[in-house]
Formats: sequence, structure tokens, C-alpha cells
Amino acid sequence: MRTPWHDMWGCGRGPAGRLAPQSRILAGAILFAACMAAPAGTVPGIILVAATTLGWIAACGMPRRAARSFAFLGLAMFLPFFLLVPLLVKGRFAAPWDVFLHGMSGMLVTAATVTALSASDLRRGLLALPVPRVISAVLIQIVHQTAELLAETERVAAAVAVRGRSGGGKAALRVLASLPRVWLPRIIDRADRVAAAMELRGYAETDLRVLGRAALEAADVAVIIVNLGVLALAAALRWRWIG
Amino acid sequence: MSCEQALVFDGVTVRYGPDTAPVLADVAFSLAARERAALVGLNGSGKTTLLMAAVGLIGHEGGIRVCGTPVAKRTAAEVRGKVGFLFNVPEDQLLFPKVIEDAAFGLLRRGEARTEAYRRAAEALGDLGVGRLAEWPLHNLSHGQKQRVALAGALVTKPPLLLLDEPSAGLDPPGRLALARLLDRLDAAMLVATHDLDFAVRFCHRFIALDAGRIVYDGGDASTVRRTWGMEE
Repeated sequence: MRTPWHDMWGCGRGPAGRLAPQSRILAGAILFAACMAAPAGTVPGIILVAATTLGWIAACGMPRRAARSFAFLGLAMFLPFFLLVPLLVKGRFAAPWDVFLHGMSGMLVTAATVTALSASDLRRGLLALPVPRVISAVLIQIVHQTAELLAETERVAAAVAVRGRSGGGKAALRVLASLPRVWLPRIIDRADRVAAAMELRGYAETDLRVLGRAALEAADVAVIIVNLGVLALAAALRWRWIG
Repeated sequence: MSCEQALVFDGVTVRYGPDTAPVLADVAFSLAARERAALVGLNGSGKTTLLMAAVGLIGHEGGIRVCGTPVAKRTAAEVRGKVGFLFNVPEDQLLFPKVIEDAAFGLLRRGEARTEAYRRAAEALGDLGVGRLAEWPLHNLSHGQKQRVALAGALVTKPPLLLLDEPSAGLDPPGRLALARLLDRLDAAMLVATHDLDFAVRFCHRFIALDAGRIVYDGGDASTVRRTWGMEE
């Protein structure tokens, strides 16, 4: 069963997709840091965050539909906070604006990076970076198993929809209320079985780099240097080294 | 890798709790090299538990040996290196996002060069009729296709013992037939837990029936199994 989670990984068709997987992860992480570091209260800071976010979305070739979905998600997450805080703390727009700009840009940069990476790329990239092996292995499995868990959740939701409707509204509520008792044991049971399979197949004790890694090329180095420049500029604006 | 006695169960008892009734009770049988046996029985009779105990995933009392190696915590890695295992839910054992990566993993972890591992994995996938799916993401596959990919991962290292839990479940009739033919060609000893006796009789010459965790029949007469355990329409 396909879910939006499956569709998002590696769906981007931008030039960033031609970089080595580790460069895409690193570039995304640096730009995320730049967006977090840039000051939200100054015009140059806002321009830098906006340009960085939009530029990375374009470079990753993030589909418009995905960008729109994430923008709406960001609005849903941050707008209530943005609207309520000034009412609670009179005349204090700076803090919610700060949260809104950084939150929204961080989420969009992360989502764009995800669209530039397939799940296999993520594995190859993480294993090529100096990330502890256990953390890489756990992250890779989280991404892989999340897909399976979402599919499982959709199956449970489908069953709830079908069985709930057949018995009317009360039945639907009863089934819905029983979801934690149905879904959770299934997920725990599945986690047990996956752990058994990992043990059996020797996943934990295998150095996953045997599955192959991509070499860095000049373009990768150039992109990392440019992104580090963006991060340096954001830091300079934040701590007023310039302007 | 070959061995005279592929699998030996010697008075094996398994319990899921200290005060609970045994799920397997005093089970004893052996499987010679290249011997193929179908493990049959009703739901809850202990088939999956027996297979899990054979690779040390479930604790047991009594003795289990795989190719002469006793199954214990300290020998788990050695034992599992000699076994190709198929879980009854294929999704559980597929650990990589792409088909070919998952199928080749067993070879790569044994130190096989990447190109050779991928070539052999592609061959195993081809034998199971899913060669064209090698570059596909696993989540795009149907249940039956995942079953074949999981099987390819179990077969690719050519282990001397195969423990297969419901290998024909989810396969279409041509797929079942092709799988039975493929298993029939293999040199490995096999213990195949199944409800599908028509599938099993194509390559198994021995039938071990479990009932409430005990072996109640061990022989070569498939019709007895059919009659006694209601495995016919």
C-alpha cells in the first residue's frame, strides 16, 4: 500500500538530485542551520531566509503540490501561535514572527531535502557521513519502517471505515475508540517480528557500508562551500558582524 | 556447505511463560541433508514456534542442532549463517528500501564483492519470477511479490538448511507451481510449514504433523495427513 510518505521520498527532479547523497544531506543540514541562524527581525535576514528556502526548493525540484502541502501544514502549525501571542502579550510581534519564519523555513528546507533523496540515497548518504553507525542504522530503519507502519495504519483506518459505517455512527465511534487497543498491539507485535528478522539476518552486526557508497565530485564540494557561505552570512547578520 | 544431519530436535519443549502450558512439547525429529519435510497442522499447533526455536529466536528446553551446531545464544550467529529463513509475513524481513539491495544483503554481509552479490541476487530474483522488479522500491510491490523477494533473500546464499513459513501464501497459482519447481531443484534440506498440502506434495516426501505442540504423525503418506487433519476440500 502506497502512502504520501512513500511518494515524498526522492520525488524531486531538480539539479540537487545529481549530487552525491551525502552532499544532499549535508547541504540540506547547512541550509537548515542558516535559516535558523538568520535574524527574523531584520530585512536582510528575512530576505536571506526566503531566498535560501526558495532556492533550495528549486534546486531540489520539489513538486509544487508537495511545497503547497508543506506550506499549508506550516500555516496550520504556526499560524494559531502567531495570531494568539500578540493578543496575550500586547505589542509583542517579534517572538511569534521569529518562530513562524524559522519554523516554516526549517520545515520547507527539510522537506525539500527529503524530496531530493530516495530511501536508498538516505542510507548511502548517512553511511558516508561521520554519523555513528548505530544512529545511521536506526535512522534508516525508522524511515523504512515508518512507511510500513503508515501502510498498516491505513489498513486499520480502512477497516474502521468499513466496519464503522456498517453499524451506524455509534458503531463508528466504538471502533474508533478501540483503535489504540487494535493499532497499538499490532504495531508492537510487528516491531517484535521486525526485530527478530533483523537479528536473524545479522542486520545489527553488519557494517552497512558494504552496500556501497557514492564518491564526492567537484560539484559536491562547490555546493557545500556555497552553502557554508550562506551559513556564514546568516551568522554574520545574526551577530551583526556586517550591516 | 553441507552436513549429514541438517536439523535435529531432541526432546524440545517451548513455553512462552514459566507457568504456561508448553507450545511445543517434547518434540523430537531429525532432518537429513537434502531431505525435505512439510510441517503441517492446524492454526496454533506450533509450526511457527518450532521454526523460530530452530534458529534461536525463541528459548527452548532440550537440544536443537543445526548442521551439528547446538542452538544456543553463543552459537546463534553460526547457526543463522547455515539457515535460509522465510517469515510468514514477508514485510517483516524486508529491511531495505530497494528490492535488489534486500536480496543481495545476505551475500554482502558474508563479504561477497558488490557486483557479484548483485549479479547473484538478480539471478535469484529472476528464478522466482521477479527479476524485472530488481530496481523497484519494496513498498510498490504486492504481497505475493514481496513474498518472492523475501524468498530470494533467503535462497541467495545457498544455505544447507531452509526453514520456510508458509512460502506459498499470497502467491498466485502459477507462482505456487513455479516456486514448488524451484524448491524441488534445490540441494538444501527443507522444513516447510504450510497449510497448502497440494503445494507441499510437489517437492516434499515427508510430512510432520503437529497438534497442540506435539508431533502426531511423521511419515510419507500425504493422504493420511489430508484425511486426518482435514486438509482436503
